[in-house]
Amino acid sequence: MDFDFSDDQTQLGDAVCKWVDKGYTFERRRAITSAGGFDRAAYTELAELGLTGLYVSPDHDGMGMGPVEGMVVMQELGRGIVLEPLGQALIAGAVLQGYAPAALQANWLPRIASGQAVVVLAHQERKSRYNAAHCATVAEQQGGQWSVTGSKSVVPVGDHADGLLVPAMVHGKLALFLIARGSKGLSTRGYGTQDGACAAELVLDQTPAECVTLEGLTALEHALDIGIASVCAEAIGVMDKTLAITVDYMNTRKQFNVNIASFQALRHRVADMKMQLELARSMSYYASLKLNAPASERHQAMARAKYQLGVSMRYVGQQAVQLHGGIGVTDEYIVSHYFKKLTQLEMSFGDTLHHLGQVSHAMQDTAGVFA
Amino acid sequence: MDLAFTPEEQTFRKEIRTWVKANLPAEISNKVHNAMRLSRDDMQNWAKILGKKGWLGWGWPEQFGGPGWNAIQKHLFEEECALAGAPRVIPFGPVMVAPVIMAFGSAEQQKRFLPGIASGEVWWSQGYSEPGSGSDLASLKTRAERVGDHYVVNGQKTWTTLGQYGEWIFCLVRTSNEGKPQTGISFLLIDMKTPGITVRPIKLLDGECEVNEVWFDNVQVPLENLIGEENKGWNYAKHLLAHERTNIADVNRAKRELERLKRIAKTEGVYDDMRFRDEIAKLEVDIVALEMLVLRVLSAEKSGKNSLDIAGLLKIKGSEIQQRYSELMMLAAGPFSLPFIFEAMDAGWQGDFPGAEVGNAPLAANYFNLRKTTIYGGSNEVQRNIVAQTVLG
Repeated sequence: MDFDFSDDQTQLGDAVCKWVDKGYTFERRRAITSAGGFDRAAYTELAELGLTGLYVSPDHDGMGMGPVEGMVVMQELGRGIVLEPLGQALIAGAVLQGYAPAALQANWLPRIASGQAVVVLAHQERKSRYNAAHCATVAEQQGGQWSVTGSKSVVPVGDHADGLLVPAMVHGKLALFLIARGSKGLSTRGYGTQDGACAAELVLDQTPAECVTLEGLTALEHALDIGIASVCAEAIGVMDKTLAITVDYMNTRKQFNVNIASFQALRHRVADMKMQLELARSMSYYASLKLNAPASERHQAMARAKYQLGVSMRYVGQQAVQLHGGIGVTDEYIVSHYFKKLTQLEMSFGDTLHHLGQVSHAMQDTAGVFA
Repeated sequence: MDLAFTPEEQTFRKEIRTWVKANLPAEISNKVHNAMRLSRDDMQNWAKILGKKGWLGWGWPEQFGGPGWNAIQKHLFEEECALAGAPRVIPFGPVMVAPVIMAFGSAEQQKRFLPGIASGEVWWSQGYSEPGSGSDLASLKTRAERVGDHYVVNGQKTWTTLGQYGEWIFCLVRTSNEGKPQTGISFLLIDMKTPGITVRPIKLLDGECEVNEVWFDNVQVPLENLIGEENKGWNYAKHLLAHERTNIADVNRAKRELERLKRIAKTEGVYDDMRFRDEIAKLEVDIVALEMLVLRVLSAEKSGKNSLDIAGLLKIKGSEIQQRYSELMMLAAGPFSLPFIFEAMDAGWQGDFPGAEVGNAPLAANYFNLRKTTIYGGSNEVQRNIVAQTVLG
């Protein structure tokens, strides 16, 4: 039982922190959003730091690291509310490595690690909400070639992605496919998202696909759990910075001739923000440290973590805006962008009520980190 | 970073579990598991059993006869005791005054007082709060004046937990009115049999007499009962608080009570009501998060590597959780938590009313009783001031 980071993990975090501070300023971020919400150059810079191949094994030119390193990296990216979807690279790397045939791995993993190929999970459907098993998209095989037909929604960087991980039904059972950009019958319709990034609607019409695995639900649930752990870690970074911005503001903004940080009604809100942040950080650790546990234990841990993170993110975000007053609701000032990021993260990979339902459903007689 | 306990820690846990199982009287654990009333003897019997094993001072270093466990081992011991249904050790002796005596007492005082604390023979009470000094503890007025070879103590303490059983009491007393209020306070050990001391139990909202008023009327206390230096008592009391960081969260007890809440909810038929069940689920996540928070503090203590500013959060969250589980237990029983039959909280009561057969009698009383948790030990609003200070400066 040990919650210290190793020297290597600390160095990794420092390297990412430095890149965020120097290479990903608020101005650059704003420009990226104006230009569509995704910047290949910034993504390549993440790749040069080795981050896109964080979970890819050295055999495929990756770093071969684990969930704690993933957490360290996502936290730092959260501090800078980085738009480029590194969490998706972590999912793609781990899922292909865990479930895909060797040839598919050899073809895609080195390119994921190098940043050449952006691969994202395209699982959301209009009617599926947060239920991984619910899927209307279908796949069929003819003459050894798979093809997928259906539609997917709110796919992160959907119209920039080089590869799409697409769940589809095969004879009533969920399977997972990989579809390359530009494949026949694939059309995308992109749009910006509330956090300043972008997503797309996908339509697949007998689109050629490679089968990642016919055990699609197992793979998809694993993918979603990796996504949850990443989002939890990212949220910690976002909240750390949100609180820091708020504290700075309260110590400079004067009303009634004194810093507003001197008012007890406001101070207690800050204490409660700190509480929510530290409960969340604890649960982010918990999520990352349970990511390699057996599926049911892992799933229960992710649900608990995402529920806590959801509660915390909403509280910290809303209070940060409130404590800023009018400036907090402007686009010009930075804190509203942190608030929107937190809001979007709450609704990624299952919102708070959804995960409460998961916890509730799976509840056992005894409970605890060690039950 | 690693969530698992080491093999050594797991072996340690097993040893504790085996020993507790063999030595905790079932009669006592049954009461604890069902929140029945504990007598003075129940509490002291368990203390003496631990004392005989050398574990009543489970946080003590070896030089004072303790087991010399590290932060993790202490936590595992507390967890095993709590989950097995051991009564909470009355902390005033082994957990509160003993570390102060060890750190600031003379060799003579250590020799005189520590053995009785370690064995569980001597019941200690705490004399801090006064009618006019609650959260603003430093404003305390109970006065100790030096006359010859003793102090003469006059004043009143209140909220003295289980003071009706107390044989000794450690008190913060005013020895000076110079300077800041904190700088005129001394730490005195007082024999409660001394003439001039009057103890009056206060009946609380649950009908129990858990706390007392203690009056001091020209009570003579030998000078050798002063801990450390005169007017330095506030520092010693603060040391005590720093000593007691994770214990106050009481997460181990919360885990046990969560199990009980689920049993009650099932018995009363609300476990399958999603609205109710979700409230339990929220509490479950709260408890896991608190446990992680506690483990982070313990890990930092063990490695000495990171400095954590989160210890102040433990009391706030821990106390809120205690209130919440007691509230949900009462709500689970609904109307059957309403009968107030004082005797029904005694184990083995042979009466008859709906709900008593499944142990609903104490549910409302416990809910009422635990309202204290966000008030005592520095109210949660004072705790928030402290947390805000660390964040905002």
